[in-house]
Amino acid sequence: MIMTAMSHSGHPGLLPAGLGDGLPPEAEHEADVVSRLMAVFRGHGYERVKPPLIEFEDNLLAGTGSGLALQTFRLMDPASQRMMGLRADMTLQVARIATTRLGRSPRPLRLAYAGQVLRVKGTDLRPERQFGQLGVELIGSLRPEADAEVVLLAAEALARVGVAHLSVDLCVPTLVPAVFQALGLDEATGLALRRALDRKDAPAVAAVGGAAAAILNRLLAAGGPAEQAVAALAAVELPHEAEPDRQRLFEVVRLVRQAAPGLTLTVDAVERRGFEFQTGVSFTLFARGTRGELGRGGRYRAAGPNGGAGEPATGCSLYTDTVLRAVPASPATRRLFLPHGTAAVVAQAMRAEGWITLAGFEPDVDPQAEARRLGCGHVLVGGRPATVNDASGRSEDQPPVGNRLANTDRA
Amino acid sequence: MPADLPPASEPLVFAVPKGRILKELRPVLRRAGIVPEPAFDDPGSRLLQFRTNFEHFSIIRVRSFDAATFVAFGAAHLGVAGNDVITEFDYAELYAPLDLGIGKCRLSVAEPIELVAHDDPARWSHVRVATKYPAITRRHFAARGVQAECIKLNGAMELAPSLGLCRRIVDLVETGSTLRANGLQEIEQIAEVSSRLIVNRTALKTRPEELQGWIARFQEAIDAP
Repeated sequence: MIMTAMSHSGHPGLLPAGLGDGLPPEAEHEADVVSRLMAVFRGHGYERVKPPLIEFEDNLLAGTGSGLALQTFRLMDPASQRMMGLRADMTLQVARIATTRLGRSPRPLRLAYAGQVLRVKGTDLRPERQFGQLGVELIGSLRPEADAEVVLLAAEALARVGVAHLSVDLCVPTLVPAVFQALGLDEATGLALRRALDRKDAPAVAAVGGAAAAILNRLLAAGGPAEQAVAALAAVELPHEAEPDRQRLFEVVRLVRQAAPGLTLTVDAVERRGFEFQTGVSFTLFARGTRGELGRGGRYRAAGPNGGAGEPATGCSLYTDTVLRAVPASPATRRLFLPHGTAAVVAQAMRAEGWITLAGFEPDVDPQAEARRLGCGHVLVGGRPATVNDASGRSEDQPPVGNRLANTDRA
Repeated sequence: MPADLPPASEPLVFAVPKGRILKELRPVLRRAGIVPEPAFDDPGSRLLQFRTNFEHFSIIRVRSFDAATFVAFGAAHLGVAGNDVITEFDYAELYAPLDLGIGKCRLSVAEPIELVAHDDPARWSHVRVATKYPAITRRHFAARGVQAECIKLNGAMELAPSLGLCRRIVDLVETGSTLRANGLQEIEQIAEVSSRLIVNRTALKTRPEELQGWIARFQEAIDAP
């Protein structure tokens, strides 16, 4: 009996692995950052869509979605008796909307989205199983200008919310497979080579690569700052099958560089992990000193409702949890304590001035002490905000309750 | 001559493994022109992080498995780890661009000599193995259709068969003398092992000139006679 009780109840605050509560002030900060990013997307003509949390599994995981099958929670819909999947990524939902309900909207179609996703397993770098995803999809254009627009938009949006030292790493995940195919590599060699390339392990590439080793190691060595990489890549003798990928990459580098001369731009000619379904120029977003990827994006085919080749598309997803690690801490909030009996019109006037007001309910307390206790940096005295003084008699070692909130009040 | 490095403005941390490999790494560091502060070579020192002759470049000395973890999570930017450790963790955030050619040994399966004579691996459906490398071991046996139940040990693997913990082990073998001394025989080699220079993915992408400069410097250090 005791064992059962222990294994089934536990601490009421305990959440399943990888899930967490967002608290003040971080939850507010997250919502604010997301809305500022979405505003940048909106400014570039990307219109917001809102797919559902759950869909029929066979739609959600069709085609390119099959890559997410292992990461998708499923449940049975008691109404339709069909299996449903809880989204592990929103990109394909947006692509589905574009090719079905918005199939007759003019192209190129620009859509934006933001929401939460849930995954079966976390990773080393992201143990969270639920996190926010937001991004854009640009459907119906095969032009390099479309590739460049998405890269530049992501960079602009991240800069706008204060991400410093952003770094965009461009790749063409179809380049290496094209080389493999042109050289007629067998499956086992291809697999061993991919593992070696994923590690940037040049000695292993040389050891297992056979005829492909020389070319692949030159591609590997060509990675780095964009200008240097373009020069090195241009000098590699590639099979003609890989030529369109190389030219497209060069064109996107040129367009991005033209629009954003100061952006840190690198090229990785052998990157492919997580880009298995990408069909052209793709990219990963990093910020110096921030663990993991802020986001990633690239070219793909948005499958049509009746199968077929689908439509050319590109897009970008940002991950809210990583983005938040790369942006400055939330700005100080200006919290003002209104002593008991403050008139509603006065309170309203203070909020109109930009104050966050906290109304006091107790008539017989010291407003200064009450303001301090509730984490307010200011208190209304004689109709005007006054700084809450720190002469409280408490030592610095014993912070007042609500200290963390008080610390955010640096107004 | 080592390559010129672009000036660093932010700290770079280099994680090296303690013990056997460190001894072999010292000449490589010397040829790369990296001079740690004297405490680095003082066995009595309790320091864990050491300054070097490069202002922003410090060295941490950790367990061999931890060097890979520090680098994978970006707590260190560069490091040294054997491909045994790199493969065991299989961290996606870790690049291994250079084989330093030191710390050479092999990762092998071993079992008691008296078992070898009448053991037919083709008949196995399940084996129990003591090892420091449960992930590699499971993958290795799974690839030939055998489930491996791993007992994770952190050292003295060779004791496991003689004390009846299990009959087989997967461990690093350098000369094979420890195996022989414990009545064990190497029956299968899983991988050749040597130490690699490892680099954090984000660091390489966000500080490309600087990190490539260090990789080039180590390349020259191992090319030098």
